[in-house]
Amino acid sequence: MATVSVDHLSFSYTIGDEPLKPTLTDLSISFVSGGFTLLTGPSGSGKSTLLKLIAGLYPAFSGKVTAGHITLNDQLLSEISPTKRSQLVAMMFQNPNQQFAMDTVENELVFALENQQLPPVDIMPRIDRALAFLEITDLRDRVISTLSGGEKQKVALAVIVAMDTDTILLDEPFASVDPDARQLLLGKLARLQREDHKTIILADHDLEDYGNYIDQMVVINTAGTALTPLSAQEKDQRLASFSRSKTDEVRFALPDKKTPPAIQLTDLKLTAGTRTLLNQPSFVFYRDHVTLLTGPNGVGKSTLLTAIAKLHDYSGSIIVDQTEVRKSRKRIFYQELGLVFQDAEEQFLNVTVEEELALSTKNSRNADYFSAKLPDFLKQLRLDGLNDHVVYALSGGQKKKLQILEMLMMGTPILLFDEPFTGLDFTSLQQVLSLMQHVAHDCHQTYVIVSHQLYGIADLIDYHVKLKNQQLTYSEVLA
Amino acid sequence: MNPTLKFLLAVLIALEISFTSVWVINVVLAALGLIVILWHRTPWKRVGLLLLVPLIPATALAVAMLMQGRGNNNVHFAIVLFTRIYAYVFVGSAATLTTPIQTLVMSLEQNAHVPSKFAYGFLGAFNLMPKIVSEVATIRAAGQMRGQVLHFWSPQLYFKAIIASLNWSENLAEAMTSHGFVEEAPRTHLTVITTSWWDWVLIIVPLLLLQVGLFAIPLP
Repeated sequence: MATVSVDHLSFSYTIGDEPLKPTLTDLSISFVSGGFTLLTGPSGSGKSTLLKLIAGLYPAFSGKVTAGHITLNDQLLSEISPTKRSQLVAMMFQNPNQQFAMDTVENELVFALENQQLPPVDIMPRIDRALAFLEITDLRDRVISTLSGGEKQKVALAVIVAMDTDTILLDEPFASVDPDARQLLLGKLARLQREDHKTIILADHDLEDYGNYIDQMVVINTAGTALTPLSAQEKDQRLASFSRSKTDEVRFALPDKKTPPAIQLTDLKLTAGTRTLLNQPSFVFYRDHVTLLTGPNGVGKSTLLTAIAKLHDYSGSIIVDQTEVRKSRKRIFYQELGLVFQDAEEQFLNVTVEEELALSTKNSRNADYFSAKLPDFLKQLRLDGLNDHVVYALSGGQKKKLQILEMLMMGTPILLFDEPFTGLDFTSLQQVLSLMQHVAHDCHQTYVIVSHQLYGIADLIDYHVKLKNQQLTYSEVLA
Repeated sequence: MNPTLKFLLAVLIALEISFTSVWVINVVLAALGLIVILWHRTPWKRVGLLLLVPLIPATALAVAMLMQGRGNNNVHFAIVLFTRIYAYVFVGSAATLTTPIQTLVMSLEQNAHVPSKFAYGFLGAFNLMPKIVSEVATIRAAGQMRGQVLHFWSPQLYFKAIIASLNWSENLAEAMTSHGFVEEAPRTHLTVITTSWWDWVLIIVPLLLLQVGLFAIPLP
């Protein structure tokens, strides 16, 4: 059983040696030892930063501790040698693609155990047990890059189980994991805590399904200045209110079948690793309408968007503008359809805000409309006066707003949005929603939007589609 | 054969034929390389590519030699250059195609005592290759969605690719650290790669034979 304590800790990221505005300020807490703690708070509040500090990745890789310290079993973390530390604490990351250095599952496990200087005779038995515990013995020789998100996270947990650390940290581990894998992983974590007395600290802003498992809930505030452990009563209230807030009382129309189609799917099959994500005999997204696409984590919403955008293989047929996507010529295709990436930085092609906007104005299909309205739009989004700023140095919210604006400005007839509202605070969300509504109407655009963030977006949406059990269906309600 | 010694042998052979001009030896080396490659059941398509691709630089070099050279020697040098390219390609391929990258890295770490940071950093980067390919496709699509065609010579393509690589290299380093990797710390090895007397025979004998072929017997 391990005790993890944070004592008056402050941390800043740095540029050169200059500390930036502190990300975490004067935080103190003692995590329940041998317990399962859920760390929650709005995105951008510093949950990941705190976990990486406890894992010892920071300040080694980034930033600076400006005050306070972290202790592991009453020993200062900064005084524990890295090799010793790796036997005490391990971390699982949010992005399943970012946790492996080797090619196959077995090689990754071997790599981790060799690092721990485990005697060679003990390595294989340890790996056998870890894989059996996660029920993934059949993945042993698989190449990691061919696995689905859920499979990768199971492998990541298997590595931690094999390393046998007392403390396990998890940073939004289920963000791209399908519901079945999520249940399995949560069950395994609970067993590790119950039977092996591991101390588990998991960060997530989505509170669904945790009710049965956690001992403690700790909330971090937006500014990263306070960590508050909730009482049992407050915890239950918060869990209950979370599941309620997801069922909005909005009703949507079902589409009129006579509306002209924008995107037609026929016998479409999508896979991730060995798992089938979608198996759809026929489906239509309608033209000049805004369609919201929802479904649990990891069911394949993003994969569907990337397949429609010609960035993922598929079998069957996807027709956009009377052309099979697979056979279309890229240069022409991307004038008809654009994808607003989940990661705003992927969209940027230039260095400054001004250059980004100039590129969109130059190549827009509605150049006159947008050059006339651009100053207003910039003011509306509070992006005015940032012209000579470097896009990569903008705040998360500003990046997102700029990305959406420059894609809207292209005037592309069909736009796909992958989680466009994450990281936007309430005011920014309102600004973006009103802009999208305005432009969709004026430029007769078709939008397909994948979003977890459902609160307050009903006015923008015409139709709602659910992706569940490998099927797309139109639905009148949000729940 | 021990991977490190195998690569050492290939490099020594390549160095030596760079400074000598006996085309018969080049042909023999290329043929031996080809035999090793075929022995290891390399797919025919790959062997075909290995035969075809060097044809362009080899022919270009030979033709340039024929056109530029003066005197009687130029035909001889043209043949030497042409065969040398094939000797490089087949000797090199005989070493690389018969060694899994993982084994080579382990051997470099254990036998050649290359710092494990470089060995595993290299391996990690190598495993990123498929991701780089898809990243480049995404960057080009992002360009086309904004009406900008990014050719493989566009600086923007490289700028974006470098930004992505910087991100990945940090992620890779964090991933390695979280899986217990510490620079310069001792590690155990599940598979120990040994160097036996036979490995030394396999490197010394071919090198001796090469000296005999190059210097003792008068070959064209």
